[in-house]
Amino acid sequence: MEYQYEDDAIRGLERELMRQGYSRRDVIKLAGALGLTGLLSACGLSTGQNTATKSPYSISDGSSLQWPRTIVAEPTSPIQLSVAHSWDAIFWTRQVQFDTLFMKRHPNIIIKAENTPFSNYIQKYIAQAAGGTLPDIIYCQYAWAQQLIQPEVIEPLDDYISRQPDFNLGDFTKPSLDFYRRDGKLYGIVYDCGPRMLFYNKQLFDQAGVKYPTNDWTLEDLKQAATKLASGKGRTKIFGLLSLPTSGDASMAPGYLFPFGARYVNEPQETKSYIDQPEAVSAMEWWWELMFKYNAVPTPAEQLTLLQDAFTSGRSAMMMAGSWSTPGLTQNAHFKWDMALWPQGPKGRIIDTAGSAYMIPKSTENKNVAWIYLNEYLSPAGQSFMWGMTGRGSPARKSAWPSYFASKFAPRGARLVYEALNNYATNQIMYQPRVTDTAGPVWDRVVAGDITIADGLHQITQQIDPILALNAS
Amino acid sequence: MQLTTEKVALLSKPAPRRRSKLGRLERREERMFYLFILPWLIGFIFFGGGPIIASAVMSFTNWQLLAGPKWTGLGNYVQLFQDPLFYLTLKNTLYYGGGTVVIGVMTSFLQALLLNQRVHGQAFFRTVFYLPSVIAGIATAFLWLNIFHPDFGLINTVLGVFGIQGPGWVTSEYWVIPSLIIMSTWSGGSTMIIYLAGLQNIPAHLYEAASIDGAGWWSKFWNVTVPMMSPVIFFNVVTGFIGSLQAFTLILIMTNGAPANASLVYGLYIYRQAFQYFNIGYASALAWVLFVIIMVITLVQLYLAKHWVYYEGEIQRREIRYEA
Repeated sequence: MEYQYEDDAIRGLERELMRQGYSRRDVIKLAGALGLTGLLSACGLSTGQNTATKSPYSISDGSSLQWPRTIVAEPTSPIQLSVAHSWDAIFWTRQVQFDTLFMKRHPNIIIKAENTPFSNYIQKYIAQAAGGTLPDIIYCQYAWAQQLIQPEVIEPLDDYISRQPDFNLGDFTKPSLDFYRRDGKLYGIVYDCGPRMLFYNKQLFDQAGVKYPTNDWTLEDLKQAATKLASGKGRTKIFGLLSLPTSGDASMAPGYLFPFGARYVNEPQETKSYIDQPEAVSAMEWWWELMFKYNAVPTPAEQLTLLQDAFTSGRSAMMMAGSWSTPGLTQNAHFKWDMALWPQGPKGRIIDTAGSAYMIPKSTENKNVAWIYLNEYLSPAGQSFMWGMTGRGSPARKSAWPSYFASKFAPRGARLVYEALNNYATNQIMYQPRVTDTAGPVWDRVVAGDITIADGLHQITQQIDPILALNAS
Repeated sequence: MQLTTEKVALLSKPAPRRRSKLGRLERREERMFYLFILPWLIGFIFFGGGPIIASAVMSFTNWQLLAGPKWTGLGNYVQLFQDPLFYLTLKNTLYYGGGTVVIGVMTSFLQALLLNQRVHGQAFFRTVFYLPSVIAGIATAFLWLNIFHPDFGLINTVLGVFGIQGPGWVTSEYWVIPSLIIMSTWSGGSTMIIYLAGLQNIPAHLYEAASIDGAGWWSKFWNVTVPMMSPVIFFNVVTGFIGSLQAFTLILIMTNGAPANASLVYGLYIYRQAFQYFNIGYASALAWVLFVIIMVITLVQLYLAKHWVYYEGEIQRREIRYEA
């Protein structure tokens, strides 16, 4: 009976549709389209409520830490505090752990954390700054700091720091705070500051029969090793070194030019280019022999189809990269690697260092509550919890480094990072997109072989000097 | 049989419409009309028209987003016409736009002609030729980066079989724009569909009449197909130019203006000024100049259309010449 009822209903529907002018074929097509829609919708549904990345870190790490007591009074009623971050999926789990513990310690503070991909971060938050809708606390990379500080978007923190008796500015590593200072005031609390290191692929070294880099290496040793390690061609080609200095990237200057006594610009004023001076020209010519003469570095064409950099994909024996690259390598590199100090040049061993911070916008209505969060987040305990124990690396506070050395996630060369930071690192890095976007196209012609290195650097100086001169005003 | 030259005179112009008083039904229909377009209208005012007017005002200011805008009058426009990158990006964009439209029109039209033939597997071929236009932009970019690879890309590998050293394609200052044109032409399935629809609307009796008069395939194509398709071709040329002069996404992904600014197109330059240098006022001025350029090009095309676009049914002054 039940089946007969259903059968009658379907026939009734069919008769009605045909009475409306639809043929049987139209009905079948309609039913098929609805079925396909349902199928595609079902495919788009998430498989479960919990799709969060599993955390490799333990929230109980926080139980052994001593959290500071902030001098500012706790809020007496619930306050929502918005915090902007830019973390990868795995490190986000640690952020969630910190916020969970923080909210337990401060029941009236509700953390609303937002996570934005790094590539879109500054555009998003500058637009929000223009609209007056910045979160209460924002992450800021060193390159963006002055851009936010100069138009007085950010609150100086000296007053809070001076009132907090246990906030020890001397605990921060030497180069870390300068990016966030202006006119004697401090606008951001740094959470990390890491130097660039020499990373090497142990398997490629073993295959080529070349000895691993040591801390006594010179740049000449690096160059010779790179030429020996380069082999093959086509899709299986192995490169000796990942990249060379280009005028389209000013952060290359400390590691590639300073060891030869050369400069990109007149740091710290950044009003004049020095890239066409004889020592800079000879340094660039020396480096670029690795491509033009020894074919040991990827050409622009060879870099084209690499989804990851050639080192992470196992095709480059060495690379210069920041100590902050270690988490990504740990996750993505499927070979044994290690790091050494960046080799020394004729004029010494120098490398750049950079770090990021958190800041409180002036527009926030919850400055005191924001300070409570920052004071704990970037305290020795907070930096140990976030960047030490996770092996993330290079905490800005010296007191957090023992937790980094002891972390099972830390790379083998963790102590070398500390040595480089304290002895060889400089924070003299120019960040001016207009300069590098102007210089880059000229350098493309050098790489293509259309002009010589000397001519290219001379043209670059002519084009960027007017832009640099604007810094004087 | 020979046909003589004849002129079709323009009949009297249509009488001017008089504004008549609307009846109750017409008024009700007018209200319903505005009610139905109201959602779109509200969206346009707040998300389209408003920002358009705002950008026009911004183009007369120096605004770095974080500080307040400062009125500079025509300062941005003066700077624009003294900016070497303005001329370079305009040149690159016109090169790219012209190449894309010309080659795109020809190849899409040719594809449509082929796909209009009654052959086995017609539906299959139509699907295959249309598929590239539905592939996502990022996938297209990576696909063509592989195809254009100077060392082991498909094109240079095939050329190498014939002993030809392929160019650097997207890594070459001289070949990067042609590479981007080729890539754009490959994904021209949607214009092909429009041509196909147009071809199927050409009355068969015109071909029959031409056949009776002894016209060969070329005569039929040139004297029947092309004139009857001229409105569709015109539409695709106009929209193709408008689209290609605003090209941005795929170029940003594939080359980011490199090498040596050879693929730095106008849209990408506006993006850099607005979202990398945060020079909102100048970027707005660039955008308005692009708008004027596109308008001028479109108006020129509309003017030239009188000489080559034929709208069936419209009585106009024409000369029809028939071959002996």
